[in-house]
Amino acid sequence: MFDLNALLTQKCSTESTLTESMLKQINCQIANQLNTGVLVVDAGFNIVLWNRFLQVHTDNIVDNIIGQSIFSAFPELPERWLSRKLTSVLQLNTPSFCSWEQRHHLFELPHTRPITTDSEFMAQNCTFLPIIIENNSKHICILIEDVTDVCHYQGQLQKALDEVAQLSRIDGLTQIYNRRHWQESLAQEYAKARRHDKKLSLIMLDLDYFKLLNDNYGHQCGDMVLIEVSALISSLLRVEDLFGRYGGEEFAIILPETNLAGAKELAQRICDKIATTLLNYNAEIIKVTVSLGVTQLNGAEANYEELITKADEALYQAKALGRNQVCSAICAKTLVID
Amino acid sequence: MSEFHLTEDQQDCLQELINIAMGQASDQLARYLDTFVYLKVPSIESVAAVELIQTLSQQQNTMAVVSQGFFGYEGIRGEALLMYQEEDSGRIADLLGYEPDELSQDEQLIDISSILTTTFLNVFAGQIDNQMSYNAPKLLPSIQNSISEHLQQMTFNWDLALKVNINYQVTDYSFNCNMILLIPETAIINIKNVLDRILAEF
Repeated sequence: MFDLNALLTQKCSTESTLTESMLKQINCQIANQLNTGVLVVDAGFNIVLWNRFLQVHTDNIVDNIIGQSIFSAFPELPERWLSRKLTSVLQLNTPSFCSWEQRHHLFELPHTRPITTDSEFMAQNCTFLPIIIENNSKHICILIEDVTDVCHYQGQLQKALDEVAQLSRIDGLTQIYNRRHWQESLAQEYAKARRHDKKLSLIMLDLDYFKLLNDNYGHQCGDMVLIEVSALISSLLRVEDLFGRYGGEEFAIILPETNLAGAKELAQRICDKIATTLLNYNAEIIKVTVSLGVTQLNGAEANYEELITKADEALYQAKALGRNQVCSAICAKTLVID
Repeated sequence: MSEFHLTEDQQDCLQELINIAMGQASDQLARYLDTFVYLKVPSIESVAAVELIQTLSQQQNTMAVVSQGFFGYEGIRGEALLMYQEEDSGRIADLLGYEPDELSQDEQLIDISSILTTTFLNVFAGQIDNQMSYNAPKLLPSIQNSISEHLQQMTFNWDLALKVNINYQVTDYSFNCNMILLIPETAIINIKNVLDRILAEF
């Protein structure tokens, strides 16, 4: 925005060469060449002045816009809200602002990138400035800046950031949560459950004889099995359950607000589902099974890591008892074997 | 004592100017908002960038921070931070005279912040024969509700700032917020010159 004060200061020093009318011409031409809308209304919100930017951006030519109420000239404006806002400018003699981040636009104006952006109207930052002229009458100058570009690029940036955030949480092969995000989630769920005295269970599971599978059929077959098993397990979970790849062929599931009985039931369903599903690799039928360890929060744990330790103990118990089965364990209590 | 610290006279003078400005600002606000606005006696102190982060981080439950830059003649410039707590901001739309569905929570916070900041600073500027301009107020991004995390990621290009802390209360609407004016060191020299001039006139 051009600085009127600077122009007026200049006036004093160059009075000999520039007349008042010349300075007026300069001011007027600047106002009309600005890429910012300038609209002045009086204390009754009637339009007193507008610049060329607004004239060329308002599609329907309004001949007699001067003197009209801003709300009849621009019926799209939220009247009640804007009246209150304009009143604050008049009454407190302070500027007021409206950013595209809160309201994409106030005035329905076309913008200069209709082809390469996806918004219908010009995104705007509006500034409302108090203006007091010599007869002490109060006016408000409304500046309308075109920020369609800012809005467009901010949208793209946000999309990219969301994608990056999503990628940093996901295991590339299986498309479930990776170890890092899963563990952060466990830390959070653990803290939440402890604070609100809620139930929390954990399942750790491991593919049986996975090394043998890799050796016999190759790593591509192993990858296929990891992908298929992940998908099978995902299909059995609730939205609030947090399923992640813990290590190579080891998976882990956080079950918020679930007790040990519920977790064991789910673990058994997973165990049965995988054992009864036949996988196909290069026209060969492949059968896989999993062993599962289940634990639940019982308040005896010092930290969330102890939950993992307990579930792991139960998992090794299941392995030791012959695989393709579920075992459970609870902290500070005797090992329960089903 | 560094060149950025205020002398006792300068501190008293500034305190007095702020007190007067607060009185007038609360009067204007009361008329506009149609309710009493209480402002507590402000605290003025110099803070180091490191300390500021610590102080602000310690403010528990800070729900939102709105920042607005201000600048006037003679190099008087700084940034106003308005800090809000969850329990004190439930009825801002009501306080401002809007219907709750007319504007979002973010917009309510930005609107009230701008009104509090500009009303006070306009009156203050008048006291020192100055005139303020303002940037559009911005809601600082809250990273998982943690303002301190955000502050820790900021790198300051100043070491010392003059900090003026003013508390606003509107008991009828259980509204409460803290305004922190921060004037970075280069602008402190300018404000000291202004204070010296005022002191010389008495």
